Amino acid sequence: MKSKSSIYSNISGIFAIALMGFPVYWMVVTSFKPKDDILSTHPSFFPHTFTLDNYSQALGKYGFTQALLNSVYVVIGTVVISMFIALFAAIAVARMKFKGKSIFIMSILLVQMVPLSALLIPLYILLTKLHLVNSLAGVVLAYVAFVLPFVVWTLRGFLVNIPLDLEEAALVDGCTKPQAYRHILFPLMAPGLVATAIFAFIQAWNEYLLAYILLSDQSKITMPVWLGSFTTRQGTDWGPLMAASCITAVPVVIFFLFIQKQLVQGVTAGAVKG
Amino acid sequence: MSIAAVRRRKISPWPYLLIFPSILALILILGYPIVKLLNLSFQKYGLTQIIAGRGVGVGLKNFTDSLSDSNFWTILLRTYAFTFCIVFVTIIVGAAMAHLMLRMHNVIRILLTAIFVMVWAMPQLVGISIWRWLFSFNFSIITSTVRSLGFPIANHNYFQNIISGFTIIGGCVAWGALPFVTISIYAALTQVPKELIEAAELDGATRFQVFKNIIFPMLFPIYIILISLSVIWDFQIFSHIWVFLDARPAPQYFTMAIYAFEQSFGQSEYGKGAAISILMIIALLGFTGYYLKQMVKIGDGQ
Repeated sequence: MKSKSSIYSNISGIFAIALMGFPVYWMVVTSFKPKDDILSTHPSFFPHTFTLDNYSQALGKYGFTQALLNSVYVVIGTVVISMFIALFAAIAVARMKFKGKSIFIMSILLVQMVPLSALLIPLYILLTKLHLVNSLAGVVLAYVAFVLPFVVWTLRGFLVNIPLDLEEAALVDGCTKPQAYRHILFPLMAPGLVATAIFAFIQAWNEYLLAYILLSDQSKITMPVWLGSFTTRQGTDWGPLMAASCITAVPVVIFFLFIQKQLVQGVTAGAVKG
Repeated sequence: MSIAAVRRRKISPWPYLLIFPSILALILILGYPIVKLLNLSFQKYGLTQIIAGRGVGVGLKNFTDSLSDSNFWTILLRTYAFTFCIVFVTIIVGAAMAHLMLRMHNVIRILLTAIFVMVWAMPQLVGISIWRWLFSFNFSIITSTVRSLGFPIANHNYFQNIISGFTIIGGCVAWGALPFVTISIYAALTQVPKELIEAAELDGATRFQVFKNIIFPMLFPIYIILISLSVIWDFQIFSHIWVFLDARPAPQYFTMAIYAFEQSFGQSEYGKGAAISILMIIALLGFTGYYLKQMVKIGDGQ
């Protein structure tokens, strides 16, 4: 349902672009400004001189490389493990009839509703018992569980949209079920798999609260926690913080551009009464 | 049930094998902590108990203490009000934007979508950092712009007053949530068949009637999902308040999540913190139930 463009809509569109985009613009502009321009009571909307000082300061700040490596480790661990586990579950939910399916769907959705902040205390105690506090493996384990419901649900959405007839035709032609999955289902699912994997990537890359609580050791922090370290009791280093924010945001923004469409389809799949 | 019994009833073990790893992960990382949380909430679990390694059962004391504390009710109400305002603004603005997007020039719509995607992708802490910078005490671009418009305002601590403080924090939350809401509604709108609307218009329906009788009923499920999800997310906001206020929020900024955290990690009263967490889950149950019902309907209707 689309209609001809109208002046009202276009004006409000431009207005929305300015309002939504300004914080992002301001981050980028600040990150390239010299210190004197940043710490001014009359900041200018456009930078007069460009400098990379903030970037070199941010990158030279203690812990950047370590935080980056830690984040990469956490992200890869979370994505690989959760995708693997979730794909199995999604196939069962989307393609098979079994007793207790509604209960499984129900519990998957239910755990998604439990506030993370409510679980911090027992999770902390649990991971202490398993000797996984202050360990990246513990964080990966926690992230897997937290992205799992969404990943299962989204994969299910993609799977449901692939017609069952294709698989059945392959079975009739003499494929075994695993063969049918490998040659028919998985190739058709590839875009959905990529989109979901990137979603898990973004979640693990962006998560702050758990990492902040579970990783107190400076050598174990992830990128968002590293960002938090720019504010001390003496105040905040705004220029380097904005540069660091840009560095942290770039990978996710790029990945997000790829999957935006699939993600929305995954979320809304079957939600509109056709 | 033994495997033989399963075979006899011709139930394949496959689905159970396939969901087993997921169930295992969920039970270990979410199931166990939920049980532990319940368990803790009936105990006194402070520093002495941590050292001893076990809590002391106190029955319902943590709950009755919280429920008879007027602070608790103030914080609960504050959290509801904060949540309601953010969800109201995001849904209304999101829906309006989505409808306007249908009538935008292609170039503008694509630009807007690109901005939305960028904001959507921003890591939470990046978003919070930017907003803190926008409203910083000394060098705020907002303060200086307001001043240059002729209003005599000096450097301003926006967080002194809780109304303006919560408005900024809420603004940051809504800014981050709008892309998801708007794009979801827009995607759903584009799926409404054009013929249906044309037919209605031919029959003389006004634009409002088309909205009321065709678009709204078709989009109803997606609104339910978006509203319940937003309520659930916004109710448990923690990082925004925590980071905006330098990890030392004043008591008048406490919401349920901060309150529970403060009781446990700040006061080392883990039992009381657990009880507050459970009350927080209960406070959300209505919305959770509504959302679940809708999602299970979608999950079964394939």
